[in-house]
Amino acid sequence: MRPLDWLVLGGTLAGIVAYGLYKGRGSDTVNKYLLAGKTMPWYAMALSIMATQASAITFISTTGQAYVDGMRFVQFYFGMPIAMVILSATAVPLFHRANVYTAYEYLEKRFDAKTRALASAVFLIQRGLAVGLSLYAPAIVLAVIFGWPDRITTLAMGVLITIYTVAGGIKAVTWTDVQQMIIILFGLVVAFFLIIHMLPRGVSFMDAVYLAGDVGKLNAVDLKFDLANRYNLWSGLIGGAFLALSYFGCDQSQVQRYLTGKSIAQSKLSLLFTAMAKIPMQFFILFVGAMVFVFFLCERPPLLFQSVAMHDLESSALKAQYAPVGARFEQAFERRKDAALGLADARRNHDSGRRAGYLEQFRDAQREIDGARTQGAGLYQRARGEKGFNDTNYIFLSFVTRYLPAGVVGLLIAVIFAAAMSSSSGEVNSLATVTVIDIYKRHLRPNAPDRHYLWVSRVATAFWASYAVFFAHYAKKLGSLIEAVNLLGSLFYGSLLGVFMLAFWFRRVTGTGAFIGMIAGEAAIFWAFWFTGISFLWYNVIGCVVVVATGVLVSYFVPARAKAA
Amino acid sequence: MPPDRAQMPDEPPPFLGTWPRVYTVVLVYLAALIILFYIFTRMFS
Repeated sequence: MRPLDWLVLGGTLAGIVAYGLYKGRGSDTVNKYLLAGKTMPWYAMALSIMATQASAITFISTTGQAYVDGMRFVQFYFGMPIAMVILSATAVPLFHRANVYTAYEYLEKRFDAKTRALASAVFLIQRGLAVGLSLYAPAIVLAVIFGWPDRITTLAMGVLITIYTVAGGIKAVTWTDVQQMIIILFGLVVAFFLIIHMLPRGVSFMDAVYLAGDVGKLNAVDLKFDLANRYNLWSGLIGGAFLALSYFGCDQSQVQRYLTGKSIAQSKLSLLFTAMAKIPMQFFILFVGAMVFVFFLCERPPLLFQSVAMHDLESSALKAQYAPVGARFEQAFERRKDAALGLADARRNHDSGRRAGYLEQFRDAQREIDGARTQGAGLYQRARGEKGFNDTNYIFLSFVTRYLPAGVVGLLIAVIFAAAMSSSSGEVNSLATVTVIDIYKRHLRPNAPDRHYLWVSRVATAFWASYAVFFAHYAKKLGSLIEAVNLLGSLFYGSLLGVFMLAFWFRRVTGTGAFIGMIAGEAAIFWAFWFTGISFLWYNVIGCVVVVATGVLVSYFVPARAKAA
Repeated sequence: MPPDRAQMPDEPPPFLGTWPRVYTVVLVYLAALIILFYIFTRMFS
């Protein structure tokens, strides 16, 4: 980081906090603090929804994923427009008319207190475990690349979000999300044009696109149905729709965004705009990753993008074992470079025979490179006694810090901070809302004056922000548990979605039916997780179907007991 | 609590007249994107 980078980073962060404090003024009632007085326009809610969803690690790893695996990840978002249409037609009017602060409050109006309590508890556990990781994950990447202590980075992000989130409530969170989303998009567009500008001499933009396509990086749609394949058209449309229904319809961190709308129409528009903008945006981010891959066809990348791992490999202890791996990588890189340039030339000259030959040479060299990378990773893991090494998250930032000019590096690090802060502030704000409305006000102190709840809301916000930083500080000690924590969200969304589907569409289902259905849905998801190889995107479908079926059956067979309960 | 919104009207969208038409446009847009991405995949692979 050069002085100009620090200036851009510092200026951007100061701007976010100042803007949050400015826009959050006047949040002097609980309604204004938690729902912005229901005054938000659709575009602010839409950008806030997108910013809350796009965490820093999503942004960092999506580009890396395209580098390694191509663009097929975009299919993950195909179900979102379907889900947004369903939510706009059902959940949005119901939540608005029910006068609720939280999605779970609606469950008590529809069913009973125990169903609300169970859904709130599920949300607090799941989101509470995730909130610290939103800060920790980018901090650990920055620690490896710049050597910044991850504790200082998480503390800095935590303090910044605490300042404007505690002071201005959801109004500050929403407007800073808007600002952060603009910074993220601006940073990505700048990075994209610089990558195109930096393509090797003699390789045009169209050459780069054809090269990326020839070597399988532009695989945006896969029509083959396969339950074990995480990303194909069908898992995206069906599994993705269920996941988006769960996330945008049942997760308070998202529901609270569109509850702030000044009308039902404004809230609907925010969801529909998000649905339309999200897929092209993800496509663009993945395309940036594919172009980084093309850039590294002529510019030799490191064997491993994680600099600490590379340093270890090149150190004296592993040097002898690393030397042949490094040589294999070097030779394969040169062969791949020749094949790539030959491929581009053959395409320009419409020489299909040469093109096929170069493609074969390219694939052969790529296999060698992948093999050398696997060997290198294996050496590092054995030396460190670690498992599951993956440097995908370091690819884009490694490119940024090595090749982009002063100022742009600062801007892209600001993008990472902005993405982390927008996700965390939304999560902290929603956790505080559920704590105050569904727990404190419902069970502990139901009849206090408004200013008391406002004060408790500020304390709860500060508590969850501190908890996020605290959790992030100790995340390193969790080791491989972090992956389990990441998975936790997908283990709970299906049953939450099922209970909301029962609430919206099955009028005869009782509170006990919904409650037992939710427990049965959880059991089914954990069974799928432990005893089958089914991809996680399908857990939401399984959980939801089991909750609905069980809820309907229980309500049918034991209606009297259900009413008595 | 928030002001009473139980009778809150579901006003029409600012364009296309009715919400079902807006939803149809969103779904047609999704179908168009998938077809476009499929053509993109085939064209460059």
